Amino acid sequence: MPQWFVRGLRRGLVTTRYPARPDPLAALLPGPPSFRPDALTRQVADDLVQICPSRAFVRAGDELIFDAGACTACGRCRERAPEAVTLSGEFELAATDRAALVKRIPLRDE
Amino acid sequence: MNPGAMDAAAPDAAPSSIEETADVLRRRVARQFGRSLHIRTLDTGSCAACEQEIRLLAAPHYDLHRLGFFFTPAPRHADLLLVTGPMLRAFASAARKTYEAMPSPKLVVATGACALGGVYQPDEFSYGSVAGQLPVDVWIPGCPPSPLALLQGLMVAVDRMAERAWHLTFLSGGAQ
Amino acid sequence: MTAVSSDTPRAMPPVLAGADRTGDAVVVARVPAGQLDVVTGELVGFPGARLADLFASGTDPVTVRMVWALDHDQRYLITETEIDGRQYPALSDIAPAAFAEECEIYEQFGIRPAGGKPLNRVAVPPQSDIKLPRLGRAPAEPLHDVHAPHVVGGHAFEFPFGPVRQVGVESLYYGLVTSGEELVDLYLFTWHKHRGVELRAQHRTPEQALFHIERAEGLGAVGNSWAFAAASEAALGLEPRPAALVARAIALELERLYNHAAAVAAMCQACGLSVGRSAAEIALEHLLRLNAAVFGHRYLFGVIAIGGARVLPDLSALGAGLPVAYSELRRAGEALLTTNSFLDRLEATGIVRHEDSRRLGLVGPVARASGTSGDARVDHPVGPYPALAPVVATQSGGDALARMRVMIAEAAESVRMLDAMMTAAGGDQLGHDENGVGRRSGLGWAESSRGESLAWVELDQAGLITRARLRPAAVRNWRGFDDACRSQNVFTDIPIIEASFWLTVAGTAR
Repeated sequence: MPQWFVRGLRRGLVTTRYPARPDPLAALLPGPPSFRPDALTRQVADDLVQICPSRAFVRAGDELIFDAGACTACGRCRERAPEAVTLSGEFELAATDRAALVKRIPLRDE
Repeated sequence: MNPGAMDAAAPDAAPSSIEETADVLRRRVARQFGRSLHIRTLDTGSCAACEQEIRLLAAPHYDLHRLGFFFTPAPRHADLLLVTGPMLRAFASAARKTYEAMPSPKLVVATGACALGGVYQPDEFSYGSVAGQLPVDVWIPGCPPSPLALLQGLMVAVDRMAERAWHLTFLSGGAQ
Repeated sequence: MTAVSSDTPRAMPPVLAGADRTGDAVVVARVPAGQLDVVTGELVGFPGARLADLFASGTDPVTVRMVWALDHDQRYLITETEIDGRQYPALSDIAPAAFAEECEIYEQFGIRPAGGKPLNRVAVPPQSDIKLPRLGRAPAEPLHDVHAPHVVGGHAFEFPFGPVRQVGVESLYYGLVTSGEELVDLYLFTWHKHRGVELRAQHRTPEQALFHIERAEGLGAVGNSWAFAAASEAALGLEPRPAALVARAIALELERLYNHAAAVAAMCQACGLSVGRSAAEIALEHLLRLNAAVFGHRYLFGVIAIGGARVLPDLSALGAGLPVAYSELRRAGEALLTTNSFLDRLEATGIVRHEDSRRLGLVGPVARASGTSGDARVDHPVGPYPALAPVVATQSGGDALARMRVMIAEAAESVRMLDAMMTAAGGDQLGHDENGVGRRSGLGWAESSRGESLAWVELDQAGLITRARLRPAAVRNWRGFDDACRSQNVFTDIPIIEASFWLTVAGTAR
């Protein structure tokens, strides 16, 4: 038993200070994408709808509807259209209203 | 990126409508759990990754106890039901019984893309989402949500952290 | 893939004569239905032969395939048999390892083994208002709610436990048979977690199906998706480039490491040793952050692609993070192996006997702790594994302590191989070459942390899946759990045994 106490004391605290302080893990996490509207043509938007395996995209006219709740951060949209899709770096996504996670992204005027 | 301000909850103004009354009541209930919250977990058909992240909430790196959160296997002792998985139809009655076994007031937090409606579409096997089978108070996206995301979600559930979801635009190139 | 043949020529089972060689590593033999029991009998007795899987496909006729691992010959043998009518020879009478699959085939294809023995419910829930689509034709008679006959002696009584269980574990329904404290019998139901992943894969390309297959068992994403990708590649005639295979192997060893750390933490928790649990969880968290740093995801989702790998590993992050992470795990393991109160709980708990391990066709650390030395990285090596020459860890005790020792030894060996791969990663070509030998169906495998994971894929002319068979290691090993629990154990031993097996419900209920 004593070996455990000695070991633990020697190692010291590992507990994160989150949420009071940032945690370095956050920078390593994959998160939902960010979109550049000026690179989002209708064709690109339709490609994203087709490629997403979790059905996080729907195109409604001149808007791309993105459901961050359905998003698994798999990165397929970013691979398909890197000029239009980047990493958002967000991980604090909790929502009390499911609708808060569904975003309307304007498409490029063509 | 900011880890989310720990806003003090706004003081309650006198409610002037049914909707406001409900909202004030919900916040009062949430704040009641703020100092000590007991969490029960429920797997409605997950791939097991969400469960591993949930288990890590009690691990030294995250230590949910320091925030006044505790796990409990006893439904009668639980305040919050942390739900994973796409709500398989074969499991739905067990899920509802688990929810009903918890005394009010209680909260439900749906966690992971499966529980939020991603990954699986509604079909003969599953409802595709926890919505519709359980009344969800907080939704936590991710596949799986990391323990940090889970902590933020729990803090939002008890009104100790501000929700950021409404303000996120997911637009790059200057907008927010 | 060329097999390394043994030096002394050995008599092959007669079924191999006249088989198609789809490359040296996989051999396919057509077996008429009338011969199926004879062939099974030959293979059961053949040294080094192990029934690795049994599955069906099609309707009118249904084709039944057995996958036999000939571990001493570095080959897999697939027998293909067309079944006319609703019955086929009772394979589980000859090879008990086939029983759970016979039950599954009945539910999904409506054909049953001759002899009329009762079959377990596997994926179909008892609720009559839930009508699930099947892979083939549903059975004509409704399923009865029976489980395999078990002996209830003396004053034993039976009660269900679950599926909602303790904190943070998957849903699982146990049927416990007890005379008080002692476990007389235990059987499992997993129908509440079946998501129909094999069905979902149909009519999709392998690329499209990969997303859900990776998420069939999230804690086995790399092992299972490697097996599926390899099966698809055999069907399509693709050969991943060496650098892609190294990326896969790095991910597979990282997956093994974190799962073994998690298993140690779970064993400590089951024994009430909080300091041990915390120490193992510190190691586990380091390893998950390492995964995120090296491949961009804590659970290594999205590493495997059909034809290669999607992500190049960040080798400098691996070099920087692995020593710290592993030293946490190694020291926790060393301390645990000198903590007598902990060892006492594991010793003689949940014994899987060597003969049961062979009879049931168990795989992975569970089998290796019971004295079998099978490991797909050695017996059916691909990619960098022949050069890495993994040393297979075995124990003979078959108890929870033996399984923990195997996992700890495997972790050390994984680190050695990761160090070797870091210095010889072989470039950044993550794609594939085409070898022009697409066969429209193929077998793939990988030694996941839980054991051999298999997959078999059949494509139509448009390249869409007509049948995807997924057989994670958990499918094999849960049947050993019943036996392990039955061996003079009490209730409080169940969590320890479950942790020492470290399977998932998702891996079998896919």
